[in-house]
Amino acid sequence: MIQPRSARKEDAVEGHDPAIDPDRTSRPVGVLDPEEDSLLEGVDDGPWQTVVWNDPVNLQSYVVHVFRTYFGFSRSRAHQLMIQVHEQGRAVVSRGSRERVESDVQAMHSFGLRATLERTEED
Amino acid sequence: MAHAFRPRPGGEVACRLESEEKAIISQVAQEVGELIRHDLDLREDAEPVREAAGSADPLERLEAEYASRTPRSPRDSAVSRLFPAASEDPAVAEELRRLGQADLAEQKLEDLGALVRTLDGSGPGSSEISIDEDAVPGWLRGLTDMRLVLADRLQITQDGDFETLQMLQQIGERVPEAQPVEDEDDQVAGSDVVAAVYELLTWLQESLLRAIEDY
Repeated sequence: MIQPRSARKEDAVEGHDPAIDPDRTSRPVGVLDPEEDSLLEGVDDGPWQTVVWNDPVNLQSYVVHVFRTYFGFSRSRAHQLMIQVHEQGRAVVSRGSRERVESDVQAMHSFGLRATLERTEED
Repeated sequence: MAHAFRPRPGGEVACRLESEEKAIISQVAQEVGELIRHDLDLREDAEPVREAAGSADPLERLEAEYASRTPRSPRDSAVSRLFPAASEDPAVAEELRRLGQADLAEQKLEDLGALVRTLDGSGPGSSEISIDEDAVPGWLRGLTDMRLVLADRLQITQDGDFETLQMLQQIGERVPEAQPVEDEDDQVAGSDVVAAVYELLTWLQESLLRAIEDY
């Protein structure tokens, strides 16, 4: 991912939890407990998961924006997941039923992010 | 010189673009749209398919139905990036492509079309481009798709590739003899322009994201 050219304060991440879309039936990873250390712990929402993969084009700020607006993550959680994608090459961003995860993957593709679905136990 | 997007009262954001900047962004958006249509074999008007679907010949009807259900997989590398496999399992990826590719293409073409209409509708000369809050997500997606296509043409495949490309261009500018030989056809000659447009779109998207930060 691309970092903003002018060094910006990425620490504009103070807790600011936008309301979670009430229409969503799957839960974004870790959104129940923003303080959770591991992004994957304590989440057992379904047998399928959405994986977002790193790419050299998308802006870090854009990826954070997508995670916040689509999944309803807090700024800090969205930032954490973006960093995980950037540094580890991939991050699990949601779990749920096959149908739900399919639609999350499709949404990520509409935003231009590379995403795949997989069974939860593969991770 | 382009001016960054700024928030305005009422939830709008606006930027100022020069005539040439508007023209080139609009042109790239249209070309990306055409590339998608061509590569996925989508017609602007689906008339022929509809006609065949109403045909008296059952084979023709079947073929039309099948054609509308089975989307063509992307062949162009940039279009593949815009419509990536949704699974590492090829069978699952194929199934999801069948279910979702047409909708995804429709959305991408809609985003690019809206962007073109706003730019072209702003009149000649340098002008202010203002975007409603509702139109911002479409602009962000459209700018992303354009950048993904240009990045593919610039062969940006890993983090840091664009920075390397910029460095090589700067060296090329300082040492005229280091310019690549012309026989590589216009791919090399045109890459400076492509890189400049890529940079403009990156900057514009960054400024749009900054302008909506407090939404």
